[in-house]
Amino acid sequence: MSEPLTTAAIACAVLAAILLVWFLVRRPSLTRATKIVLLFAIGLLPIGTALTGNYAGYEATKQRRFCGSCHVMTPYADDSSDLRSTSLAARHGRNKMFGDENCYVCHANYGMYGTVKTKLGGLRHVYEYIFNYRNVSLAEARATIHIRDAFQSSTCMQCHSTLNPGWNAVPDHWSTLDRLRAGTLSCASSGCHGPAHPFSKDDTKAVQR
Amino acid sequence: MNTWLRVAAVLTLVALGLMVWSVLVPTPLPVMLAMTVGQAIGTAALAIYGWIVYRDVARKKRDGAP
Repeated sequence: MSEPLTTAAIACAVLAAILLVWFLVRRPSLTRATKIVLLFAIGLLPIGTALTGNYAGYEATKQRRFCGSCHVMTPYADDSSDLRSTSLAARHGRNKMFGDENCYVCHANYGMYGTVKTKLGGLRHVYEYIFNYRNVSLAEARATIHIRDAFQSSTCMQCHSTLNPGWNAVPDHWSTLDRLRAGTLSCASSGCHGPAHPFSKDDTKAVQR
Repeated sequence: MNTWLRVAAVLTLVALGLMVWSVLVPTPLPVMLAMTVGQAIGTAALAIYGWIVYRDVARKKRDGAP
């Protein structure tokens, strides 16, 4: 959570609350001064709280602990946080740049409307959880929850560009380069670098695309 | 008029409470409540305030007109 934004949101809210309580308790007449006080108390300060609070909330929804706060995602979040785990998700969860947001970084949509699509998808997750998954066991959730669309290798390519000579020196990489870039082969396929969450997969089957 | 301003003040306090809750407890329910119900209540309070101020200014203009 962004500390400056959180502090700003709370500071604006506290100041507004003080002015509002003053107005409710003292019942001043509607003079120009009172109007200006109320402009701050009902307008400017709450807008400041909303702006900073919304942004802090937006950033908080990208954190792994936010995703893991629904019980069906607990195994995934726990695996990502496990320093002993060697799963793809766990290794990326240890990245200093985005490790705390590894769920979002890997599963977010990108492009011009990527953020909007991701947040709309998040609303769908909340709907599904409230109406279908709130009371299911972890075992049932693990068997029934699947990624909606095939995992795109373009997500991996944001960092692993496939352009480095060292990367292309690996035979399995240069031999599948066209398919990777076309999106017909996933970096996270079983037998390659995945699956990212092996505990949720049947080891006898490759990830279907 | 002051009654409506008091209503606006109370609504603002409710909205602020929801927003601060979402900031302190960033889990799905508080965040969603703050960004939907909180925003709606806060906007309603601001609209009430704006309407009251507009009516007050209009009344003073009318009373001051020759």
